[in-house]
Amino acid sequence: MSKTINIARYNPEQDSQPQLQAFQVDSDHSTSVLDALLQVQQQDPSLGFRWSCRMAICGSCGVMVNGIPKLGCKTFLRDYPDEVTVSALAHFVVEKDLIVDMQPFLAHLSAVKPYLINDQQNAEPHRQTPAQLAKYQQFANCINCGLCYSACPQFGLNPEFLGPAAITLAQRYNLDSRDQGKAARMPELNSKNGVWGCTFVGFCSEVCPKKVDPAAAINQGKVASAGDFIISMFKP
Amino acid sequence: MIQKNAPPKRSDEPVWWALFSAGGVCFAVVVPGAILALALLPALGVITADSLSYPRISELLYQSLWGLAGLAFVGSVICLPLFHAAHRIHHGLHDLQLGGGLLSKVLCYGSAAVISLLALYLIS
Repeated sequence: MSKTINIARYNPEQDSQPQLQAFQVDSDHSTSVLDALLQVQQQDPSLGFRWSCRMAICGSCGVMVNGIPKLGCKTFLRDYPDEVTVSALAHFVVEKDLIVDMQPFLAHLSAVKPYLINDQQNAEPHRQTPAQLAKYQQFANCINCGLCYSACPQFGLNPEFLGPAAITLAQRYNLDSRDQGKAARMPELNSKNGVWGCTFVGFCSEVCPKKVDPAAAINQGKVASAGDFIISMFKP
Repeated sequence: MIQKNAPPKRSDEPVWWALFSAGGVCFAVVVPGAILALALLPALGVITADSLSYPRISELLYQSLWGLAGLAFVGSVICLPLFHAAHRIHHGLHDLQLGGGLLSKVLCYGSAAVISLLALYLIS
């Protein structure tokens, strides 16, 4: 079955803004948006987009499908009876066609020190009970695809906002029983561009392809930041 | 010299968020209860008008227990919901790109504080 797919094309050296271009692709019940893009690339090799694993693990094929942030590999044409419009992830700078500059996103991730901080110098393994693991495990499933940033209206208004994935990652390490870095992470989270930039719209959790629920992590972060605020009042 | 990687300034948002959260609970639980007791049940004839008479309510809320019940009632039905609404308006203005800065903060939380003080003054 032939299907029309509109793709927002943008060449920074020629275009002032993205323009939609229509392509015809063959589609059956198993054709994903990524498969369709690969077909289009056969027709027009100049089409630029990122992809790698085709199985919702690498997080590189994020695009807007009919205005909603989706992973191309996890979204199927069968679910779109009418035409499909694919464009670059919202709230990011477009480099070419469907490729965006992920640098601001990566800078926000690294700002929250997303790694285990533990000064203990011994060779013993850090044992963890299933209950201790369960506290943070869901938040550890993030694949850094950036869909939540395209979904977040607050990140759209204020690119300085740390954003859903970064705050979720901070919360993931703060909740880890092996970690001692919470004090080092809290100043970023306590600022107006940290957890307090969130107004609990919740769309980040809806679009997350790994069901990480960033909105829950951010609101746990707000409770932690409010606790940190009270403790700071009693410190000299 | 600007210190590189200086920690960002702590936000004062926890204060407003705490008032917003407390007000939200009051809006969801206490305000419907008050509407039920003061508006719907008397209209349906479940409780008589006499049981809501001024001397009786005044005694119950504002004289017994040093007036603490009245303070709790006004606090949970008027003051905290006001701060809840002010927080929503302040952030709503930011979303609409009409404000969200210091001016809207002062106006929103300031008016919530003024009306709260007025309500508390009226029962004192």
